[in-house]
Amino acid sequence: MAGTAQRPRLALRIGDPGLLGAFLVVSGVLLVFVFYPALRVISYPALSEYLAIPQNARWIAALRNSLFMMLLSTATATFVGFVYAYATSREDLPGRRLFQLLSLLPLFAPPFMVAFAYILMFGRQGLITKSLLGLDVNIFGWQGLWLVQTVAFFPYAVLIIGQVLDAINPTLEHAARDLGAGDGTVFRTITLPLARPGVAAAMLLVAITVLADFGNAVLIAGNFPLLATEAWFRIEGLADLSGAAVVVSMLIVPTIALFVLERVWVSRRLYTAITGRGSRVPRPPTPGVFKWPLLAACLVVAFFILVVYVGVLAGAFAKTWGYDWTLTLDHWALALAQGGDHLVNSLKVGAGSALLTSVIALLAAFVTSRRQYGFERVLDFLAVLPAALPGVFIGVGYLLAFNAPPFALGGTAWILILALTFWHVPFGYQAAVAGLKQIDRSIEEAAADLGASGLRVLRDVYLPLLRGPFLASFVTSFIRAVTNLSIVVFLVTPRNLVATYSILSMIGGGFWGAAAALTTALLAITLITVTLARVAIGRGLRGLPTS
Amino acid sequence: MADVRLLHITKRFGATLAVDDVSLDVADGSFTTLLGPSGCGKTTTLRMIAGFFAPDAGDIVIGGTRVNDLPPHRRETAMVFQEYALFPHMTVFENVSYGLRMRGVAATEMRRRVHDALELVGLTAVDDKFPSRLSGGQQQRVALARALVVRPQVLLLDEPLSNLDAKLRVRVRTEIRLLQQRLGITAVYVTHDQEEALAVSDRVAVMNRGRLQQVASPLEIYHRPQNRFVADFVGLANFIDAEGTGARRVRAGRHELTVGREVTGPVTLVLRPEAVQLLPQKSPDAVNVLPGRIEAMSFLGTLARYWVDVDGTRWIVDVPSPGDAMLSGEVYLEILPERIHILTERASSQSPQSPQSPQS
Repeated sequence: MAGTAQRPRLALRIGDPGLLGAFLVVSGVLLVFVFYPALRVISYPALSEYLAIPQNARWIAALRNSLFMMLLSTATATFVGFVYAYATSREDLPGRRLFQLLSLLPLFAPPFMVAFAYILMFGRQGLITKSLLGLDVNIFGWQGLWLVQTVAFFPYAVLIIGQVLDAINPTLEHAARDLGAGDGTVFRTITLPLARPGVAAAMLLVAITVLADFGNAVLIAGNFPLLATEAWFRIEGLADLSGAAVVVSMLIVPTIALFVLERVWVSRRLYTAITGRGSRVPRPPTPGVFKWPLLAACLVVAFFILVVYVGVLAGAFAKTWGYDWTLTLDHWALALAQGGDHLVNSLKVGAGSALLTSVIALLAAFVTSRRQYGFERVLDFLAVLPAALPGVFIGVGYLLAFNAPPFALGGTAWILILALTFWHVPFGYQAAVAGLKQIDRSIEEAAADLGASGLRVLRDVYLPLLRGPFLASFVTSFIRAVTNLSIVVFLVTPRNLVATYSILSMIGGGFWGAAAALTTALLAITLITVTLARVAIGRGLRGLPTS
Repeated sequence: MADVRLLHITKRFGATLAVDDVSLDVADGSFTTLLGPSGCGKTTTLRMIAGFFAPDAGDIVIGGTRVNDLPPHRRETAMVFQEYALFPHMTVFENVSYGLRMRGVAATEMRRRVHDALELVGLTAVDDKFPSRLSGGQQQRVALARALVVRPQVLLLDEPLSNLDAKLRVRVRTEIRLLQQRLGITAVYVTHDQEEALAVSDRVAVMNRGRLQQVASPLEIYHRPQNRFVADFVGLANFIDAEGTGARRVRAGRHELTVGREVTGPVTLVLRPEAVQLLPQKSPDAVNVLPGRIEAMSFLGTLARYWVDVDGTRWIVDVPSPGDAMLSGEVYLEILPERIHILTERASSQSPQSPQSPQS
């Protein structure tokens, strides 16, 4: 009697076999491709090597420098980001839309592009410094890196702070004014306090990004040792795998600390600031004493963004940089002859990993939203963990985990695809989780009630309704994958070269023109992808009201 | 078609006892309403019948089969959701045909049945529209058609009218009732609106705090509520503390009243506002007459509602078809003995309450 009563109960708890399968698959791949490589890195060096860190002057310097750059670049990037976000949140700022668009541009560029362009524009052979101003400037070193990181990463701050500022109900400003607050007081007592969680979130995200920044550092930091680049020098120059593992392990201590802080502390406050939307009334006009300085600040920032694109574009067509400004297509010929195949490879790797990322992320989000097995929190942790891991850590991890049996993927496109896929899973996962929250549970229940089983619900209800987040996740992952350098430098061999690595080699070999041409090609691809995606989303998803 | 039997079902959510030992028989082809305030467990009960929750204890039997462990998609129930839960990315036709597709119904038959179902709920020429293009009332009908088209053994309705405006609500509830009677389908309906429950049901099951309070016909529920909660929740009532004298007489404060049956001990008299007559003068042959004074009045069209002070107690009295003549000042309340409902439970320390206070 008890037995017959037990069996159906168990069946109910395990639930749908399809769902169980999905749960097992998602758990399995996350364990193998996220947890295992991370574990490999940390456990690879002997304990004595960790204990010897304090005696290694270069590594201590690298740690100190990395933290120093983190403080410096985070402070400036967040400050610039806040001013820019505040300015573009004012509806009466002249050229507001254009400024908003401009601040998004660097997000689609390869992460090393700012450094490369600034070497071209402000370096010893710089178009601006040498040819226009006649100066002799050495941009290499921490000052150059500071400028580059500020320009490269302030858009993240704009994105986050802008969202928070936009969500502040203009009625609050009106109310404060109505109660007698002047313009400065409104800013100080209303806008700034409400934006504070957004600023904190932006700071933490930028700090993580600065710490992990490999591309800009490797190009422009010169002899200034940093943890992210040190890991690569260990392997590239010395084939010192365990040294690299120690260095990237040192790097994840601060990044994970910042990440945890962001997850448990800031993101919760962020939501409370965004709730409470009433009907939109226009914001009160920005007073002139605010407006014109803000416009000036935006123009300065816009100049530094545009310089990046002008620099690379000019580099791709100028005959000999710094000496002969005749236009030529020679660089393109060289770039395509040397890097054409690599570009195609990049696209394959990018498309493959983006597709895989989006599928796994969606499946993971669906499975963790069930809350059926009690392990969902672990899955959730594994799905967001890669966001806390710098690219160089993932790169070293995959090198250690998948270069030899039982997982001998070294030299194949697969090792690149998998590394990039799982590094990007958090982006897709968070988009999918947010999308799932928008869908009322009763819609799923209606499908189940009418006879759809677990995975059928996913196919019929969630997949179609989550096309938006899916597409967004695909595009983000694709762009990040084709422009990635920090991971691929560890995993490429002559058999699986990709464009970003070729660009790095070309810059290193002094082929600036070809490097600029290949970068331009890469940039064109990402911009076309974004445009296509925007058109697709703009068309509206079937049946859903376009907002 | 099938009957539904709930046998001692209990459901907890953490520390909260959402449904507490509920047993209920829903007869084949009947329209049964679960009525109660929010949080009383009515929706949880409905969802256990649908299969979204499994009961912690007790059995759910549909058509003679125990279904406790069957997932929703294996039960022959169909639900109409409060928010309709129409699939926003599917057209009306795709929404309605969804359950048929899950059951592998052939295309031609599917088309016929979808059209029949849409016709049944009075919708035509909307097949290719998306739900977002329909009005609330139309969406509601699509949701109903989607549930009916699979010919469920039991139709479950979870506050299906709460998103409609007041006039439409009355119309659609009548339509649902007529449809249910025509199809002879078993229906379980959840609402917190007592008027709606009285208007459409064969039987009403009143719930509070997870427990069934009374299961009976609407007439029975209204006129002979089993306890104070039911009397208070369904309609308006005057509650008068009284003491039975053993004969058909009770003592209420300074007055003595004749009632319909013999009672002893402490009792509560339940008097519906329309069970009391309001007269400007004392009629000579009346049995129970109480003098009072009108404190406030509210004109509601079909009736006039008076708040009358009787020895410091406020009574609510409805006068039907008031016409143009309004009463005021000193009046007499006249009560027929058979209209007095007696609860043997005694109201606590609460004075007779007026759920609706007068507008001043």
